[in-house]
Amino acid sequence: MAAPGRRLCLVAVLLLLLVGAQALAPSHHLTARDLARLRAALERPFTDLQAAYYSIVGLHSLGLRVADEKAACNFVKSHVDSSSDDSLFYAAQSIRVLSGCEVTISNETRELLLAAVSEDSSITQIFHAVGALSSFGLPLASQEALSALTARLSKEENVLATIQALETASYLSQQADLSGIVEEIEDLVARLDDLGGVYLQFEEGIETTALFAAAAYKLSDHVGTEPAMKEEQIIQLMNAIFSKKNFETLSEAFSVACAAGSLSHNRYHLPVVIVPDGPAAVSHHQPVLRLQVTNVMSKPLTQASVKLDYAKSASTKATVLQQTAFTLSGEVFELNFMNVKPASGYYDFSISVDGDNRFIANRVELKVKVSTEVGITNVDLSTVDKDQSIAPKTTRVAYPAKAKGSFTADSHQNFALSFQLIDVNSGADLIPHQTFVRLHNQKTGQEVVFVAEPDSKNVYKFELDTSERKTEFDSASGTYTLYLIIGDATLENPILWNVADVVIKFPEEDVPSTVQSKNLFVPKPEIKHLFREPEKRPPTVVSNTFTALILSPLLLLLILWIKIGANISNFSFAPSTIVFHMGHAAMLGLMYVYWTQLNMFQTLKYLAILGGVTFLAGNRMLAQKAVKRTH
Amino acid sequence: AAGSVGSVVRRFLAEYGSGTSSRLKVLDAYLLYVMLTGALQFGYCLGVGTFPFNSFLSGFISAVGSFILGVCLRIQINPQNKGEFQGISPERAFADFLFANTILHL
Repeated sequence: MAAPGRRLCLVAVLLLLLVGAQALAPSHHLTARDLARLRAALERPFTDLQAAYYSIVGLHSLGLRVADEKAACNFVKSHVDSSSDDSLFYAAQSIRVLSGCEVTISNETRELLLAAVSEDSSITQIFHAVGALSSFGLPLASQEALSALTARLSKEENVLATIQALETASYLSQQADLSGIVEEIEDLVARLDDLGGVYLQFEEGIETTALFAAAAYKLSDHVGTEPAMKEEQIIQLMNAIFSKKNFETLSEAFSVACAAGSLSHNRYHLPVVIVPDGPAAVSHHQPVLRLQVTNVMSKPLTQASVKLDYAKSASTKATVLQQTAFTLSGEVFELNFMNVKPASGYYDFSISVDGDNRFIANRVELKVKVSTEVGITNVDLSTVDKDQSIAPKTTRVAYPAKAKGSFTADSHQNFALSFQLIDVNSGADLIPHQTFVRLHNQKTGQEVVFVAEPDSKNVYKFELDTSERKTEFDSASGTYTLYLIIGDATLENPILWNVADVVIKFPEEDVPSTVQSKNLFVPKPEIKHLFREPEKRPPTVVSNTFTALILSPLLLLLILWIKIGANISNFSFAPSTIVFHMGHAAMLGLMYVYWTQLNMFQTLKYLAILGGVTFLAGNRMLAQKAVKRTH
Repeated sequence: AAGSVGSVVRRFLAEYGSGTSSRLKVLDAYLLYVMLTGALQFGYCLGVGTFPFNSFLSGFISAVGSFILGVCLRIQINPQNKGEFQGISPERAFADFLFANTILHL
């Protein structure tokens, strides 16, 4: 069975529920809804010839037909422009796809197209010319076209040009040596960006990636060589291309349609999509596990054979079933899992799809839930005396009835509850996730929830000791309703059962504080803003005294100067002297004004002027004094 | 010991009175004034606290700066130091003093 597609032996994991995946799951494909959306995007009325081409050829790739082929044919024939390669290409491709559409090509048109196949045209022009010639059924010199293409490829290195070269090569005769072009596929694969190991796409976008996928398979089918892409890469490409669910432009929709078409019909790789039909869960009411096994376009692969390799319990890892085939019912594959009477819980299924060598991503692991119903048995309610002097009184209750009478728990007797949980269908003991005992105070609305634990024989026990539990209850005595809550993901019938009423009396010393329901939505106490307190200052008297005190040294200075006999007799009234002293005084005055009014920059401005004047005058004055001194 | 300190002080005052020119004595009086002002400010702060701190800082630093500039002027003017300040005449020293004071108080 080993096929080229399977030679790498990767295990692909399914989209909905993952179990420790090592390799890649197809996370996106064209679901029926996506297909409808794509179809709607392509079925828009034609605006021009290019739009018509996209719609017609796009729908053809999906295996659909245009609604009115005759009208489409007429549209194409009337809109074709015989002097443009592009126009001729679109027309040629559309006409080839439409049934019953014929057109005659004049010699001039043929010459025009043949002339375009040369080294001087761009790859797009060569592509369109070759495509048009081939689709019109006109003879084409493949060798010449190939050499022109190869020459252009060395000049135009961008991705789109290379993709168009691949497409062009798929129209050339197989006798020509197309291996050079085929190698470009590998180069392009190397240029794909890996996004998180899940997606593989060109930085140019999804449209380019989709066009690449379509072109690569088209060329590979034509040449007969398997494309050099690993299974994981193909799945990543698939994820990227089909991750786009809304198509902004017609060309985008067209590219995705072409990619979908080539990934569903090519000679080498067919990705398989395995999806559970509905939730992956079985139970006694619904014992059959249904799977949809389709290609990327959600077309059921009814020819495939689907097999369960093994089914293991997720908790115990014991294999419950292996090597069983699924049966085809309509378009869905089914397996009745409940036949092996599995215990409830989760199971890991490993499923493989065979039937065609081209299948890839055809092995999945699926997590399946088996649900069941729970039954409560042997429910015993008893009051146990603490001193063990009186034998416990036990009452048996059957679900869903309520015990008659109430039970009392106080300082000298405890209340006890025991029960067993069984699987109704198989009789085995069950340990669900949630086994709660809820006590609800009828008067105050308080409720306290405890967990009942199973012992070694899977019998659940719960005991209420008033002295141990008074903090949970806030020592509020009264009548409490007892509920039993049983729940689990694998149970179809979770239980909320009002079992009995229990009167709990707490010791009298602890008077219960009135239970305040914490109301979170009342206004909180107002916060008063605390302004910064001004710093403590000394009383005004002290400050004033000190100010006077500070001025006293000035007085002292004047006295000392007079005493020393400061010499002011040499004061000459020369102009520079006066100017100097005036200027200096002015500067001091400026300082005062600076203190009261100005900022530094204004002061600097004035200071510069005054300073300049004073400096010049001072210079002269001091020079004169120096001269006088030296004489 | 107290006696010797007292006699040293008296001797110093006598020498000072005779040995220094009146110009220098004028300057010394100014320096004394500045120092007292600064000391008083500092004492006030110690007494009543540092509020407002800006005022104390500016006043004190002004006093200290002025004192330093005054000392520099005195050094530069003193004829006994003439050897060390060849290119700077007393007038020039005085002009520098005024300029530096202006910048300080800016």
